[in-house]
Amino acid sequence: MTAVDSRPDGPDMQAPVAVLQTHDVAVHYGGIKAVDGIDLTLESGRILGILGPNGSGKSTLLAAMTRLVRLTRGRLVLDGEDYTGSPPAQLARRGIARSFQTVRLLRDLTVLENIQLGADLHLDRKTRYGGLVRTAVPDAVTEAIERTGVGDLLALRPGELSYGTARRVEIARALAARPRVLMLDEPTAGMNQPERHEVAALLGRLRDEGLTQLLIEHDVQMMVDTCDRLLAMNQGLPIAEGLPGDVVREPAVQEAYLGKRWNRARDQ
Amino acid sequence: MSAWYYSHLILIQGTFISLLLALSIQVPLRAGVFSFAGIGSYAIGAYTAAILTIRLQVAPILAIGAGVVLAMVAGYLLALLVARLSGLYLGMATIAFALFLGVLAINGGELTGGPTGLFGALSTLTTTHVVVITLLVVLALAANERASFGRRVDAVREDPQLAVSLGIDVNRIRRRVFVVSGALGATAGGMTSLLRSTVSPETIGFHLVVTALTMIIVGGALSWAGAAIGAVIFTWLPSLLQFVGEWQPLVYGILVAFAAVYVPNGLLGVLQQGWRRMQARRHRVPAEGAGALADTATADPEHALAALGNRAEVQS
Repeated sequence: MTAVDSRPDGPDMQAPVAVLQTHDVAVHYGGIKAVDGIDLTLESGRILGILGPNGSGKSTLLAAMTRLVRLTRGRLVLDGEDYTGSPPAQLARRGIARSFQTVRLLRDLTVLENIQLGADLHLDRKTRYGGLVRTAVPDAVTEAIERTGVGDLLALRPGELSYGTARRVEIARALAARPRVLMLDEPTAGMNQPERHEVAALLGRLRDEGLTQLLIEHDVQMMVDTCDRLLAMNQGLPIAEGLPGDVVREPAVQEAYLGKRWNRARDQ
Repeated sequence: MSAWYYSHLILIQGTFISLLLALSIQVPLRAGVFSFAGIGSYAIGAYTAAILTIRLQVAPILAIGAGVVLAMVAGYLLALLVARLSGLYLGMATIAFALFLGVLAINGGELTGGPTGLFGALSTLTTTHVVVITLLVVLALAANERASFGRRVDAVREDPQLAVSLGIDVNRIRRRVFVVSGALGATAGGMTSLLRSTVSPETIGFHLVVTALTMIIVGGALSWAGAAIGAVIFTWLPSLLQFVGEWQPLVYGILVAFAAVYVPNGLLGVLQQGWRRMQARRHRVPAEGAGALADTATADPEHALAALGNRAEVQS
């Protein structure tokens, strides 16, 4: 695997391209404005982090971007093409993979089968229906298993996994689709510190290979270390956007979300 | 053997036909679609085959085939009609579809023979045909349950939103399920009326809903094998229970209630659980190894990180 170093400070700096953009996206439920006018850009080979307290609209924004909820207003653009009205099932085919805030593995399938679900959309008709012949596991699946380190657990079922491990399996499932854009909603929730480091390192390596990512997390230190840019939200509105170090120093962000946590993290 | 075969011929035929009927409910249920449209399709298949055989003397395969095609079209249209319904509401709407066809049969005048039905649908359909057709159908369904398509159907049932985000067109799978269910029900209906050479509104009534659902509840709804177990049990149980005489419905009812309460995944679920337990025993060593690794990670983060670093090097 050749790592393409495309970080801003890297030696072969490449100009990032806008892969996915939202323009003034809003999602209202009756009188509740869950998301109210978000503009963001996912650039190729960059990680955009979204910070914000619980209920600030992060997950709703993600659902809007993956067409799982209806937009009240705004536009969604992928590769310069408007996809505001396209069916959600098409997005996976166009290279968007995501995980959810809660563990969403199928309990009757093994870990391997759950991961394979991610890659199934690339199968041709013949392999999709020829169920009597045992077909080889696609390379994308093997690779996703190696990268997330779940190789020992393939025969187990989700009920037998710890919460942190289940989340790794979900990342593997998303990677098995070989996405161009990866959106992770709190991928390290419920993980211990070493597991978090491992996931952060994995996301960094994926970024260096050119994968565009959107990351929602509560671990501020991890967000600052991992993301290229941050967007801070509160009550559905953007309150700051920019380089991670700058965003977390914004008074509005500190007040809305970070409080003492960031100061403590910085002092250490 | 031969004498036994001929004296039980009706039950043998009944087993295979019940299996197809049960499958016409099991296939939608597996995809999370609570539809009894298969029972309506059974009526379509039964009447189409009988009418074509009596009036035009077509070959049995054509008579049944025409019913199957008709039921598939009806299934597709019904799927569009009830696209926004799910759960109990969908169940009620599809039962209404089945009952509506019963009313149509009673009031169909000369074409359907009214309340007395149609007689004299004599054909060359044999038990061998029935067995071969059923086995081919089961083989096709078994193939679809496994591997990729089966996984996708599981996703549609368990978590439609997740399925969509994985690129699965949930609505298309639901429509397809209605079409397949229509084909299965119509095959069962067509074969029944040609084997019995008669069909009447009574034979396509609500009792079929109960029969099919009972087979799936006791056998297991998540696989063709569950429908097969249920079909065998409930085709043969009444004749085995003859010794209890008039208490038969009571015994029958207790069995169903027991299965519904204590064996929610049916007998097949019990078998699968046992199988998995056996497998788990075989896989216990790596599973415990993984647990041990996690323990050391919490106890000694630096050591764990070093291990992760090594793994990262291997990968890059």
